[in-house]
Amino acid sequence: MEFLSFLLRRVGWSLLVLVGLSMVIFFIARIVPGDPARMALGPTATAEQVEALNDKLGLNKPITVQYAYFVGGLAQGDLGRSLLTERAVNDDIRDTFPATFELVFATIFMAFVFGVPMGVVAANWKDRWPDTAVRLFAIFAAVTPSFFLAILLQVLAGYVLGVLPTTGRLSPDVVYTAGPTGLLIFDSIAQGRWDVLGDAVRHLILPATALAAATTGQIARITRASMIDTSRQDYIEAARAFGVPGWLRLFKYNLRPSFVPPLTILGLEFASLIGGAFVVELVFAWPGMAAYGIRTILQKDLNAVMGVVMVSGVFFVTVNLVIDILVGIVDPRVRIRGKRT
Amino acid sequence: MIIRPSRLFASCAVAALFACAGAASAETVVTMNTVQIFGTIDPAKISDYTDYMAAVNLYDGLLTVDSSGNLVPELAESWAVSDDAREATFTLRADAHFADGSPVEASDVVYTFERLFRINQGPANLFAGVLSAGSVEAVDARTVKFTLEKPFAPFLATIPAVFILNEDAVTANEGGDDGQTWLATNTAGAGAYTLKSWERGARMVIVRDPNYYKGFGDGPIDEVRWIVTNDEATVKSLAASGELTMTSQYQSPDTYKALEDMGRFNIAKEATATAFYLKLNTKVAPTDDVHVRRAIALATDYDTIREVILPGGELTTPLPKAFADFHNDDIPQVAYDLEAAKAELAQSKYAGQEIPIVLGYVAGTKFEEEISLLMQSNLEQIGFKVTQQPDPWNRITEIAGKVETTPAVNQVFFGPTYPSPDSMFYTQYHSNAAGTWASMEWVQDPEVDAMIDKARVTGDPAGQAAIYKELQAKLVDIQPDVFLLTQTVQHAMDKCLTGFKAVPMQSFDYDFTRYSWTCK
Repeated sequence: MEFLSFLLRRVGWSLLVLVGLSMVIFFIARIVPGDPARMALGPTATAEQVEALNDKLGLNKPITVQYAYFVGGLAQGDLGRSLLTERAVNDDIRDTFPATFELVFATIFMAFVFGVPMGVVAANWKDRWPDTAVRLFAIFAAVTPSFFLAILLQVLAGYVLGVLPTTGRLSPDVVYTAGPTGLLIFDSIAQGRWDVLGDAVRHLILPATALAAATTGQIARITRASMIDTSRQDYIEAARAFGVPGWLRLFKYNLRPSFVPPLTILGLEFASLIGGAFVVELVFAWPGMAAYGIRTILQKDLNAVMGVVMVSGVFFVTVNLVIDILVGIVDPRVRIRGKRT
Repeated sequence: MIIRPSRLFASCAVAALFACAGAASAETVVTMNTVQIFGTIDPAKISDYTDYMAAVNLYDGLLTVDSSGNLVPELAESWAVSDDAREATFTLRADAHFADGSPVEASDVVYTFERLFRINQGPANLFAGVLSAGSVEAVDARTVKFTLEKPFAPFLATIPAVFILNEDAVTANEGGDDGQTWLATNTAGAGAYTLKSWERGARMVIVRDPNYYKGFGDGPIDEVRWIVTNDEATVKSLAASGELTMTSQYQSPDTYKALEDMGRFNIAKEATATAFYLKLNTKVAPTDDVHVRRAIALATDYDTIREVILPGGELTTPLPKAFADFHNDDIPQVAYDLEAAKAELAQSKYAGQEIPIVLGYVAGTKFEEEISLLMQSNLEQIGFKVTQQPDPWNRITEIAGKVETTPAVNQVFFGPTYPSPDSMFYTQYHSNAAGTWASMEWVQDPEVDAMIDKARVTGDPAGQAAIYKELQAKLVDIQPDVFLLTQTVQHAMDKCLTGFKAVPMQSFDYDFTRYSWTCK
């Protein structure tokens, strides 16, 4: 019951955050320079045409009225039309979100698969060469901007070696209509399209690696630090005294409680990369929502900007909520503390 | 070494994730990168260069334009203009048909224009005050008549901007928005290519319609793939992997060089009708004084700009020489001469004092920054105090809307949107077109307006040419711009691909029926 009450409170706060976000972004988007109608219609459009489009978009109305229209549309799940693509923003986001989600999911998967073991190795061999190697990697990965790594990988794998595709989600030769989720890997497995699966994975490798490097380094460092802290606990010493095997001590008694900080970081990275993957998406011509968001900002496509920000916001808030629940599952102490509060 | 089929299969199975997918290929595929996304393919909404690049392949108009700027027949086999220039009648080709096989009829043309007027976007602005609902009528199945509300000499030149829709296909998918939602992702045209796939923001693929009514020449391009990227490393890696056939025209010199060094590419260069100006705001200090404007023109190092900073051709008047019949060849190139600039400045009302001046340019554009610094260096030698004002493009479109926010000096490219000098003069210099980034001079001169208006109602080409030559002399005299250069467009193209010719209208240069693959 306390947990349910905790959840309801969190959901309530999350909704408040989203309302605040919508107001801030709505007003910021409108004070950014540029006339959206003029930019959409081009320099040869007549003043009457620009005025007509401003009327149609409601941009001539007071800003509070415009916000009320926006909230009204949002309540009905309608984000309006994009000036950039001339389509419903809902459709644009439905088409682009899965690409970004798949890329970010692959990124987080890679960061988890490589980062956690690296952290475990570094902690287990603290101050010896594996630890030094992991720490060096983590520092380099953290200080290397993802766009630089993206270009480096593209030149190396695409230009010099020519072993991996450098643009898009699928080769143009692959004839495939996306399935219901829009996630190529999931849909192709569900449909038994192994050719599509192989092609999609090949296209994912470079952009996901470019995005994953920094997170991998971060996860490795945090896992290492957390495990070193845990290894100093009395119960670990007790387990050693009782002759519990080293691998059991490492993975069951040390890694599991040490897992909360990296899990939190992974969740936050997952959410923030949804909006922050744009540079890598632009470099690899990845048809994702992050790149779409940047283009709409440059074009001052107000409805689309609001749509992208709101979807990113909802995703961020939801992921945070899920992390709280997962952390409670991984670490029972959190649940107990939650009940006490 | 002979590889047994079973072993090959096994190898593919093992390496399926890395090599064997996507091996199939169309007969002749051209892959080109483009730096902007395709916004729309709806003919009633297309407005920019990239939109037209797709549309010119997916749709046909009544007329099209060749590389010399001449109007050439497309869906219309002939046309006639009445003596009073108030009526234009087009006769459609008997064999013209849409991609679905249905014939192109006069009613389709009427529907296309009526829909354009209803939506009032894209090329609709070309017909403002000239055509409106009811102006276009079907005389019979193959004859369509346009009745102009007033004489408008460039009317025929604007016709290629409108692509004809299949009325039946659109009305069947009309929805509640005149088919706008449907035409955002589908085509209903008579073009040589049909849309195969479109990943917005990433890629568009079109395929050749083998039943195209005009047919194809030797070595037709079967499939065109546009990849949206402005990243130089991506372009190089696409070229190195053999995927890229043709670059955009906006690559860096390093990329052109790298591709040329690969041995597979030629660098195709063409002069264009796009001009690059320093637009001088004639309504704010100090460029409200004609002597100041002339001094700036004299203090411009044209050779360094055209040969070192941004290679391009000579521009002596507001009109590029691509409009040969209308160009005033008697006007000489202004020579870079700082002493003459000082003498000119001495005649201005700002003489004898340090003259503050703002130089605006597009932030993050390296060559514009270099030009602005070069101008600063020269102008400060003759008595100006320069403030650099780099602004993002969004901001420039906004500050161009008011006289007082438009900087004194602005670097702007402008090219014709239809193959007529009117496209260059009206949009940049007519008072009715003031307040956009294309008209940052704020000329607003009744004499200039009168000349532009007069040319618009003069049907006789020789008469038009005389007016436009006089207009160029007038504009050079009042010096609302420094005429920097005409843009040279260049592409790295696979040596097997031919056919690129610059066309003085939007991106009609990328009509791929004009290209051919010469290698067997």
